[in-house]
Formats: sequence, C-alpha cells, structure tokens
Amino acid sequence: MVRAITMPKLGQSEEVGTLVRWRKRVGDTVAKGDILFEIETDKAILEVESFFEGTLLKTVVQEGATVPINTTVGFVGDPGEAIPEMAAVSPEFRKPEPLAASMQGARPATPPPTRGMIEARPEQPAALVGAVREPPLHPTPSAPVAPGVFRISPRAAKLARESAINSAPIVGTGPFGRIVERDVKNYLDSKGYYQLHITPAAKRLAAKEGVDVLSLDGGHGRITVTRVERAISEKPQTMSRMRQTIASRLTESFTTTPHFFVTVAVDMTDLVSFRIELKAQGASYTVTDFILKAVALSLVEFPIVNSTTDGRNIRWHGKVHLGLAVNLDQGLVVPVIRDAEELSLAELHDAATELIAKARAGKLTPDEMGGSTFTISNMGMMDIENFTAIINPGESAILAVSSTLKQPAVMGDQIVVRDIMKMTLSSDHRIIDGATAARFANAIKQKLEEISLWKRLA
Amino acid sequence: METFGVVVIGAGPGGYPAAIRAAQLGASVALVEREFLGGTCLNYGCIPSKALIHTSDLYAQMKSSASLGLKAESASFDYSAMAERKDQVVRSLRNGVRQLLAGNGVKVFDGTASFESRKRIVVNSSAGSTVIGAEKTIIATGATSSMPGFLPRHARVVESRAFLDLKSAPGSALVLGGGVIGCEFACMLAQLGVRVTIVEILEDIVAFLDADVRRELRRQMEKTLGIRILTGMSLESITADEHAVRGTAGGETLEADLLLAALGRKPVTAELGLENAGLKTNQHGFIEVDEYGVTQVSTIYAIGDVTGGPQLAHAATSQGLVAAENACTRQRRKNEKLIPYCVFTSPEVGTVGLTEQDAVKQGREVKTGKFNFGALGKALAIGHPSGFVKWIADAKTEQLLGAQAIGIQATDLIAEATTAIRAELTATELAQTIHCHPTLSEAWMEAADVLLGEPIHTIARKRG
Repeated sequence: MVRAITMPKLGQSEEVGTLVRWRKRVGDTVAKGDILFEIETDKAILEVESFFEGTLLKTVVQEGATVPINTTVGFVGDPGEAIPEMAAVSPEFRKPEPLAASMQGARPATPPPTRGMIEARPEQPAALVGAVREPPLHPTPSAPVAPGVFRISPRAAKLARESAINSAPIVGTGPFGRIVERDVKNYLDSKGYYQLHITPAAKRLAAKEGVDVLSLDGGHGRITVTRVERAISEKPQTMSRMRQTIASRLTESFTTTPHFFVTVAVDMTDLVSFRIELKAQGASYTVTDFILKAVALSLVEFPIVNSTTDGRNIRWHGKVHLGLAVNLDQGLVVPVIRDAEELSLAELHDAATELIAKARAGKLTPDEMGGSTFTISNMGMMDIENFTAIINPGESAILAVSSTLKQPAVMGDQIVVRDIMKMTLSSDHRIIDGATAARFANAIKQKLEEISLWKRLA
Repeated sequence: METFGVVVIGAGPGGYPAAIRAAQLGASVALVEREFLGGTCLNYGCIPSKALIHTSDLYAQMKSSASLGLKAESASFDYSAMAERKDQVVRSLRNGVRQLLAGNGVKVFDGTASFESRKRIVVNSSAGSTVIGAEKTIIATGATSSMPGFLPRHARVVESRAFLDLKSAPGSALVLGGGVIGCEFACMLAQLGVRVTIVEILEDIVAFLDADVRRELRRQMEKTLGIRILTGMSLESITADEHAVRGTAGGETLEADLLLAALGRKPVTAELGLENAGLKTNQHGFIEVDEYGVTQVSTIYAIGDVTGGPQLAHAATSQGLVAAENACTRQRRKNEKLIPYCVFTSPEVGTVGLTEQDAVKQGREVKTGKFNFGALGKALAIGHPSGFVKWIADAKTEQLLGAQAIGIQATDLIAEATTAIRAELTATELAQTIHCHPTLSEAWMEAADVLLGEPIHTIARKRG
C-alpha cells in the first residue's frame, strides 16, 4: 500500500524543515531504517529514516524547499501503485520575506510564521536580503511600465542576454520608454563593450550564470573563462540556515549584552599528571571533563552566574545545564549536558562523549541543543594562548578555555616550568559584577588546581 | 671575465630559442652546449626519427598500394641510405640553428657548463676552461635515456640514441617499454617488415592517451602492422650474445636481433654544480620551477625536460621563450598550460587538453562528439579511412576543453583543436566555422556537430 512520508518534527521548537537532499531516488528500494532524505533546521542537518519499506514512488518536495512539519514530502509503496496527485514543491516557489523575518527573530526558538503552504530557502542572490540584494540581470518582459507595454522588447532582451550584460541601467527610447534593440547597441557602444576581448566560452558562461561582463574589474587583455568563473565564485550567496542563525544570535548577544572579561591562568601541572595516572589505571578522562565538573560545582556556589536577565527581570535557574561548544565544518553547535550538577565526573565524561560524537555525526536533535544555562568553549586543542567568547543568548556567562602550554612560573623563589592553561570568563555586566566574576573564575581555577579534590571525585 | 645578461645552458629546442629571444630583447647572450646545437630533438630525437618514419611510411604505403591502382609491390629499401638521408637532414638543420644564433648575435660556447656561484659559470671543454659571468641564467639541459642496471651492456641492447645510429635494420626487435618512443620505433620497424614485440609493464601502451584512442592505436598496431604487444608484463632474465638478445616475459622466452630500451628519460643535472648556485633537485632529480619558470634562485630559470613535465620539444620551446621574456623584461608571463601531444606512430595520434577520463576524475560534466574518418570524403579519397577525431566540451557552456585525433595526419590536425581550445571557443563556433572541402580538417567541424547533436554526415544518436 502507498504510504505518505511526511516532514518529521525533530524538536519542540521546529515548525518547518528544509529538505536539503534526497538520499533515495524515485524507483529506489527502501528498507525500514534506510536514510530517505536530509533536512536542515536552524541548528543542524539531520538524516531522516524510513518507517516503511517498499519503493520510493514519488518525491513531492524537491531539494532546497522548506515546508511545514507533517507536510507530505513523498510516497513509498509497491511499484505501479496509484499515487495521489500533488503539485511538486520546489525551491522556486520562494517568498523572500520569511527569511528577513527570521533574521530579526529574537531567538530561533520562535521560528517565523509560515504564511501559506510553502516557504523555500532562497538560493540566488536575487533573493538575498539587506545590503547584498541585487536586481535581476534581465527583468522579465512581463513587468509592464504601461498597460500592455513591456519594459524591454524581446529583441533587445535577447541581445542583452546574449551579450551577457545587465539591461537594468539601459535607458529606453522606444514607446513609453521601452528599451529597444537600438538602445542596447548604443549602451554597449558607450560602455566600450565592443573593445572588450571576450572569449566565446567566457561570454556563453557569463550569459548562463547571469554575470554582467561590463562589471568585471579592470585589467587588460582578454576576458577568459577563468575571469568569469572568478566573478561567479565572488557572487554573494545565501548562507545556510545554520550559519544565518549563528550570525543573528551572535550579533544579538554581542550588541545587546554588555560583555566584560576576566582571565585567570590555571596551573594544570598536577592535574595533567593525575590524568595520565588515571589513564594508566584504565580511567580515561579528557581535560574538558575536569573543567565541566569544576564549572558545575562553581555554578552551584555562584547561582547568579547561572541566571539570566533581560535588563528588567532576573530569572534564576534551579538546575545547571552545561552547553559545550563543538566545532564542525558547517559551523558551531552547542549540545547541552542537562542537570550537570547532579552528575559524577564519570557521568559527565559519558554525557560529553556521547553528545560530541552525535554532534560530529550530525545526529543531534534540536532538543539536545537548547536550554543551556552556561556554556564552555574549549579551544585547548587549537594551540592558542588566550581568547574571549561571546555569551550564548539566554545565558549570562561563557567560559573560554585555551591551550595548556609549558610556561615559566614562579614557585616559591624558583622559576620552574609548569603546564599553564588560561581561561577567560565573559560575563553579562548587567547582573554580574566584576568582583563576582573574579571570584567565580578563581573558584574554577582553585578546583582545577586542587588535586585532592580530584582524587576524591575520580 | 666576460659577463652576459643571459647565459643559456643547453642548445636544445628549449635553449636555443630562449637565447634568440633574449638577444632579440636586447640582452647580451651566451649559449653553452657540450655536444650539438639542436639538442636531443634535432640530433637524436624528433627530427631523425621522423626522417626514418617518413621513409618507412612511404614504403608501407607502396607495399599496400595495389588497391590504389599502383603496381609497387616490388618496392624495396636501403636502410643505410635512409640513415644517410636522416643524417643530412640533421646536419642541415644544425647548420640552420648555428646561422640563426650568429645572426642574432648569440655567443656560442662549446663545453660543459658548471656553476661556480649564482652568477659565475665555468665552461669546461677539451680546449680548457673559461669562466663567464651571468646576470640571469636559463638551465635547459634536458634529459637522457634511462638505461637501468638490469640491461646487459651489449651492442644488441640499445636506447633511442644508439638505435638512431644503426646503419642497418634488424630482422627482429624486442621493444622494452610501450610509451611514445617505444611505440614510434616499433611502428617504424614493423613497416619495414621487421618482426617486433613490445613488452610493457603497465596494463596498456601509451597509458596517458584517451581510452578510445588507445584502443584504436593498439588495434591498428596489432592488426595492420602485425606487432606483438605484451602488456602487464616485465621482461626478465635478459641476456645478449653475438647471435641474439633474449628475455622472458610471462614465462615465455623471447628472442630477437635487437633490444630497444625505451624506459623513460632522466634529467641531466650531474655536471651543473647546482649546489654552488644554491639549487637543489627534487626527489625525482628534476629542477623545480614556479609558473614563471623561476627556480628557487630568483635569477636562475629552468625550462623543458630538466624541470619534469611533459618531455616535449614544443613545450620546452614555449617555456624557453617565456623564461627569456621574463628574464629580460619587466613584464611577467606564465608558462602556457595547454600543451598538445603528438605521437608519430602508425596511425598518428594528436591530443590536447582534457580527456574523458580526466573529466570523470574531476567530476566535471562533459559532452563528447566523435567523427570517424570512414565517413569523410577526403579520407576515403586518399585511402586512409581508419581513425577518428573527438571533442570533449563542457556540458553546460559547450566550451571546447579537449580533443583527440587518431589517423592520417593526426599530429598536424591537432593544431586547429589547440588553437580553438586556447581561444576558449565553443562547439557552436567551431561547427559554424567554414572548413575547406575536401580536407581532413572537416572532421573537427563534423565532430562538433555530433557533439551538438545535429551532424550532417552521420546519423545522430537519438537523444534519451
């Protein structure tokens, strides 16, 4: 029997999903558990498995289209079975406004309202919002300037298209100011077009890709395919939804939250050797595990750092939910370890390991990436001395952990080589005072340096 | 000490044009050559081999000319006369080069050049040593045949240079290595009636060629010329005595009058004293250069075979001119990237740019158009109906990206394709260009039509 496949709801906050890629083609056999397609949410790209078996009979939603949850995206059944008639949903049915709306949204937790059936991801610069919006190269002849009159004659439009130029700046001298072929020729002449040496393949490529050859920058000699390809690669492109979300959230946080920074240097020498000792005994912990534990303990001591403000109200959080920033090729994701204050060092290790693995495999669900009350960003493996992080919206502090480096340190009156790790706390100055931040940062430092604590906890 | 603006080391097809161009641009130029002007190409490569191949080609055509209405089956050849004519051609071209150099004011030093420092070069010859100063140097020392140690040192075992010095043809020959040089000489000998066996360690002969072209070449070499081709095999236990040279391949013992070793070429750098100039060769022995022809030392350029790359005279010439211009002017020009290849086998092969296999490797979508000489009036009229030409174009823009030709005059035909690809023409433009009728070059126009799906002289495949 024919079964409809629908856009799944993968998180509480998700109301729409973008179908990025079909992993099965029409006619492919589908087994239960096979990956049918990939969807992109605000936070990640996820794989969708089939609950049915049979043959993929039809795909209704095409790659690149965004549809509300529960929309039918395709059908699985036995070959030859009748399929209900449905109009195909392709990315071309796009509405540019919802993107703009989502960019202004306070948090992606409240996605843009979906008006009508389809909301598609814009893919071409023509649909870009803001400063990079570009007019289409060739206005379609269906945009009348006066009733029954096209802005550009078909012949003129054809010449402009074949010459690979933008017809928008051309002034029309035909009836009702319409652009006629003569206008295009005069324009080309006045712009020195006929003095350009454009190779035939370069012209063809520019015309196909909508590159205005008159806009290609300076230089002498002929315009080759390489030059046009460069122009194509330099065209503004819509960022992925994930990257757009990162951009809007970071901008929001950094422009609305007054950040200030406190840096401490932690002597990790003892902990590093203790960690090696533990490893020899078969208990493998990462430096991150110790930091997670030290932070969870310190947040319980300093509930203000675990709270949130909107500038008028303060919201206390009874639990510690630790966000852990994980870098992926597509951008940063922040899986969340819930109730971290209740977890032992071993439990924190397991939770972190599992979430990081899921993040790298692209298998985190949106619910696993929300609700954190404090975030740790560990760039220890990147060989850096120190850095500062931007507070995750909805939190009031973030800890930036840098590399553990061998450095000269003074112990007693001796200069000795120690393993030093710098940590910088970014705090929301509206609710966290300088002294509080200093005490909090030092509370973490002291815990990491106190080896007897870890001997008890490990 | 006499000091020159430019010193060119090596007077091959890369070096002597570089010297002439540098002189044209106003530099004082010295050219150092330890042997003969013209280098391997003119003396022991391209030119003498083509002189011999021309005769063998004519001879083979005469032997099979009954179908053309000729009675020339009784034609015979005199190999020593062939060799003498070849030497005359070489001498005359060598003289030509000497006159060109003199006419352009290039001072030629006979001897072996060796760096004393970055800007001092000593030229050693039997007459003594001379030290010259060099503002800029262009290294164009080329390459020489590899003779691996497992080959016996014997008169019956020759590489290409010794082969060209032969005064008589062998009755049978083993050719070790099925690359360009091995295949060219194999075809030449086979045309003269010599029994030839090629042993190639790779899975096919002339492996860099497009698969379609290779299939056709191998078919004709085996079927028309009767050459035995053993691929995926090595020749082992090679011995030579006064009676024959022997070796085993795939368990079978092969025996012949002569063994031609065509196992690739290695760069010539041994006596250059590179270390005195602060230069090093890479792990394969080549001198590495950037796209402007400059070595690790900014005043020293290197071109041609000694830099690795395609080992083609015409590539070296182009690089030589670029290096000379870059050394003498403020304008900087990059080495040309599009290099046509020609193989003087029977049938001839010409190829340039992307092959279908390259496109697949690069994940690039292409269209192809192939036209057989069998459907071309001129090819039939001159009795050479086998072979084809083929275009490879970008699927989206129809930009011509690669071309292959195999058959009569394929090495000349490839020139049109090279010009078209370098000018970034599309298949439409090539198809709309009027070509003389009846000529072989029409095949390019027809193949472009095939690529565009609207051929006149062949039935279009139905588009799926």
